Amino acid sequence: MLEFIRFLLSAVLTLAGLFVLVSGVVGVFRFRYSMNRMHAAALGDTLGILCVLLGVMVAEGLTIATVKMLLVIITLWLTSPVASHLISRLEVTINDHLERHMNVVDKTAVAREKEGN
Amino acid sequence: MAKIREDYENSWWPRFLRWLRGGSTRLDDQLQEELVESSEAHLLQSPEEAAQMERQAEERVQQALQDERNMYDHVHDWARLKGARLTRALYSILAVVTCFAIIYVLLRTTSFLPPFGDPDNPVNNEVSQRYIEAGMQETGAVNIVAGMILDYRAFDTLGESNVLFIAACSVLILLRISREKDGSQSAEQLLVEANDRMYEPKNDTILQHITKLLVPIVLLFGMYVIMNGHISPGGGFSGGALMGAALILYLNAFGFQKTERFFTFRVFQTVSLCALSFYAVSKAYSFFTGANHLWSFITPGTPGKLFSAGLIPYLNLAVGLVVCCTMYAFYTLFRKGDM
Repeated sequence: MLEFIRFLLSAVLTLAGLFVLVSGVVGVFRFRYSMNRMHAAALGDTLGILCVLLGVMVAEGLTIATVKMLLVIITLWLTSPVASHLISRLEVTINDHLERHMNVVDKTAVAREKEGN
Repeated sequence: MAKIREDYENSWWPRFLRWLRGGSTRLDDQLQEELVESSEAHLLQSPEEAAQMERQAEERVQQALQDERNMYDHVHDWARLKGARLTRALYSILAVVTCFAIIYVLLRTTSFLPPFGDPDNPVNNEVSQRYIEAGMQETGAVNIVAGMILDYRAFDTLGESNVLFIAACSVLILLRISREKDGSQSAEQLLVEANDRMYEPKNDTILQHITKLLVPIVLLFGMYVIMNGHISPGGGFSGGALMGAALILYLNAFGFQKTERFFTFRVFQTVSLCALSFYAVSKAYSFFTGANHLWSFITPGTPGKLFSAGLIPYLNLAVGLVVCCTMYAFYTLFRKGDM
């Protein structure tokens, strides 16, 4: 019984992670602007990876491999949002027509970003 | 530079090319003519006539410019309307054909491969048998791959590290911006440094904090992969790549002022040359003696210990340092032409 619950839990987690990853991929292909695409890509990098690896961890049980997977999750959660953040800053820096794609609230901040300070 | 260019323009090959193209461009000729004419006309004619002539000349130049623009538009329109469609159709057909051709070739090749795991396969000859059976005893490395590439076939690995070093040298020759003779920065260097990251976000606080957290861990992990190359999977190449990536991340977060404190061109030279020379000398000694080393120092030791397997950990370290330096050098050279 316990074994079955464990299998079910891991299957549900893995499938949820796969669903998030697939929606992320669909978003990357369907969206037309880099900021929107970033949203979709970040989804897969954080929640998708988390769910899939959690599923695998549940199936594996408490071993050294599980700890390594936890480290993978931590590393990805540390690095992937920073990468997204840098991409968005780059977009603000180099795109001269931001207001065509989005609602620019603080124009002075954008100008400061372009100045490069 | 200008002198050389002039010489080139006057040599026979460019002249032949110009003759082939039907002389210089129409616009250039006309402008030349106008210059000559107007200078003479100014001397001979009254101001009104001169003004009129100038106006005519201006009109002619405008006409010529318009002609050229029309021609360009014509070509451009064709490329945009018909040419693009044609290219796209051709491209998709060719892509599909190429794809299927490659699939066919690969599948055909696969069908000739011997079955997987068959003991009679040509791979399973006495060489790999020897490696697997006597590898640990002879080299002292638990990781058979490390024993192979750094002991049995160490000469091959020396060549590989030299390939990396030679690639770094070629990039240096092509991309390095030289300093002034007295060691100060040249004008080109200053320009490149001013333009460096002009279109990039700078001094990102978030990136800097994450880098402070990650770079020591990545460096330590790289070192671990290098030093454990003879015990677990890994080795100089992968560990060196990790360390190089950590250095590049640090550079991206904090800029050249911080990295120049510990990694300059001199450091690159010293580390690469020392590592490669150490590799070459130690392996040459090994080859010269026919693998009969000084048994007291270069000993297989206890397999599984950190300092075992004879020269392998040290050779791994040398390879790792070369790979690390080369990766970092590539990045900096492509970015600003110096380190």
